[in-house]
Amino acid sequence: MEGLVVVVLLLPVVAAIATYLTAPSLHRDSVRISILGIVATFAFAALLLGMVLAGKPAGEIRLGASWGVLLFDPLSTLMAFVVSGISLVVHVYSMRYMAEERGYARFFVLLDLMTAALLLMVSAGDLITLLIAWHLIGVLLYFLLGHDTASQSAHRYASWTLLTYRFGDLPLLLAAGLLYQAFGTWSLPDVFSYLASAPDTRTLFGLPLAETTAGLVALAAFARSAQFLLHTWLPYTMSGPTPVSALMHAGIVNAGGFLINRFAPVFVTTDGVLHWVFFVGLVTAVIGSILMLAQNDIKKALGYSTMGQMGFMIMECGVGAFSLAVYHLIAHGLFKGTLFLGAGGVISEARHDDGVPKDDLYTFVVERRSARRQQPWLLMAAITLAVPAIILVLAHWMVASDFFQKQGAVVLLFFGWVTGAQLIFSTYRMRSENIWRLMGLILVSFTIVVVGYTLISHAFDLFLYPDPVFRDRIYIAAGIDVIWFDALVILMTLVVVLGWLAAYYAEENGRRGKARLSALWRSFYRLVAQEFFVMRLYARLSRGLLAIATRLNVLLRWS
Amino acid sequence: MTSIGYLFAALFLPLFPFSMLFNQLFARLPRAWPRMGLLILWPQLGILALASQGERPPSWMAWWAVATAALYALRTLALRDLGLWTGYMATSAWVLLWPTAAFGNSTAGSAGLAYQALGLSVPFVLLAWLAGRLESELGAAYAGLCGGLAQTLPRLSGLLVLGVLAAVATPLVPGFFTLLATTVHALPTSPGIALLILTVWLLWAWSGARIVPGLIAGPVCVDLERDLGATAARLLGLAFVVLVLAGISLSGEMT
Repeated sequence: MEGLVVVVLLLPVVAAIATYLTAPSLHRDSVRISILGIVATFAFAALLLGMVLAGKPAGEIRLGASWGVLLFDPLSTLMAFVVSGISLVVHVYSMRYMAEERGYARFFVLLDLMTAALLLMVSAGDLITLLIAWHLIGVLLYFLLGHDTASQSAHRYASWTLLTYRFGDLPLLLAAGLLYQAFGTWSLPDVFSYLASAPDTRTLFGLPLAETTAGLVALAAFARSAQFLLHTWLPYTMSGPTPVSALMHAGIVNAGGFLINRFAPVFVTTDGVLHWVFFVGLVTAVIGSILMLAQNDIKKALGYSTMGQMGFMIMECGVGAFSLAVYHLIAHGLFKGTLFLGAGGVISEARHDDGVPKDDLYTFVVERRSARRQQPWLLMAAITLAVPAIILVLAHWMVASDFFQKQGAVVLLFFGWVTGAQLIFSTYRMRSENIWRLMGLILVSFTIVVVGYTLISHAFDLFLYPDPVFRDRIYIAAGIDVIWFDALVILMTLVVVLGWLAAYYAEENGRRGKARLSALWRSFYRLVAQEFFVMRLYARLSRGLLAIATRLNVLLRWS
Repeated sequence: MTSIGYLFAALFLPLFPFSMLFNQLFARLPRAWPRMGLLILWPQLGILALASQGERPPSWMAWWAVATAALYALRTLALRDLGLWTGYMATSAWVLLWPTAAFGNSTAGSAGLAYQALGLSVPFVLLAWLAGRLESELGAAYAGLCGGLAQTLPRLSGLLVLGVLAAVATPLVPGFFTLLATTVHALPTSPGIALLILTVWLLWAWSGARIVPGLIAGPVCVDLERDLGATAARLLGLAFVVLVLAGISLSGEMT
């Protein structure tokens, strides 16, 4: 039955070939073959996932002597199900959306090939197959983004995306080379088993193999998942067709989280690498969110929102919550795909009517008019700080009583607490006929989200990493010294609470001190508006390199 | 004998500044067919000269070779002429056979090197033919001069894209496996060379992504009606499939 993995991989390729070959005779109807192929792919992927859920043990299929190994395990089957599902939605949406576009059949052929490359990546069982799929995804994305051959800007940004992706391919290739030289095999399960038995193996210049390869894999993941300094391609790919944006933001950009999960057996043997992963994710999440707020174009704002979400996903890996990152990438894929596919409709409707009801929420958020009658601040502060913490602790205690021993879980609890408290803090001054009813509804919603998130992420943990010892090792690899950890948590709590107090004070005392702050604020806004000058820096570097190339050509007389 | 043998090899697997001779000759050939012949034969002569030495080239020559590859890869970034681009890219690709010979899998031998050279050359042969065809249609195969070919000559544009993809060593063409194997085998003893090869690979991708849009993207500048015939396009597409199959079969030996 593992042979179904091959069927799942081949179906989109066959659909692409059939669509291409029948396009001259069937014209636009040829894309129905493509859709049929993806429906079948999704059905077989669901069957594979069902088999794993039913308890069928993990296995592999070897199509070649040294490479061409395909894995049949929880991670690959789950990801194949997600990829084929999102691809199916994008295919169906594109049928009408792209109907008037030139190269209609070509678009579906490329979508099919991209689906095949993504499926190959998630089921790759050796380093060469993984490299091939990783590389092909970048190339196919270039052609999908540049589908409109009349648009030069689409091709310019597609080129930039390709270049960033190729930059990300190289660390993965180096990591593959180091692992092959150390153990003499390309097979991922073999490499992981050798590394587990000899975690102190050294590589070039006496460097530890595990840390070096994990760092390189993380770098490859950063480029693919648009982490800060490698993010510039993401918001500028909006010249591509909307279904491609949806596929990219829902499926392709998440590959970084998948890659770190695939190399989890390497990361558990490292010391300190996951801390850097956390740091990069944190910086990306903060900067992505700030940049998103500064945009006035819905698609670009969604692009930066994806960057922020990818930061969170990488951060989850950094705290050792690997399976949570997979859950996050699936959840993000679904909601971001929906947003992209709906963006056109929203823009069209907003041209006639902004659709925003002039209710209490509007007067509070847009007009910033707060309630006339204030509640006792001490009571509200206590609710703000305590209630989210109680809900979060109880929810996590339901699934694992020892979660306080895991630093990663505490970090995520902290983020949950900040989010919940911020929500209550920012809404309790809303105009409402019954403030307690409003608060009650907020708390019920928060509880449902937290309990749902906790239960589902726990189920993902058990499914993807059934071995409890391995799960603990991931958290240990991500952990830091307890005293430092406690000190950081206390410091961050103080910073957040002081921030709330400052915001409360500013609201209560009107415009005092505003002039002094506004100059600082304007400088910061300029910096954000210029996207921290990263794109300009890269453009200048590119121009410099091209000028050197031209001078060399002239100097060497074009020979 | 050794010095003369290496000199010949340096000429035909063109190390800088000997590479200037090849590129001068390539640019002066007036038609596509002699250029195509040159692209097939030139590196094979280099492999013969290298094989006649009966030993692996010294590592300093491998350094010289990757520096040449990097120089030409960088220079392709500023090129707009498809013919010239093909010559520079071929130079940048062939010289990487020096580190392949110096660090590569010894069981592959000179026959293996000859196949790898052929695998590297085939995409350039296709590109030289396409450049000749464009020159006869438009007067010049010049990126940015007359874009939008994807709309007027879709089959030719498709082949051009495939040719450039193969030239920049995209999976699964033989070039991909040659570069992968060379990088991996150079890594333990000469990590600097491995890193330079990867840099060259990155520059190739950038260069390819610069030249393709200049030819196929953008508004249509002139109506052309002499696209490739369906049969010719399918045959050339089939040749590309054969190239991929050759890459897969070569990969077994190299990895």
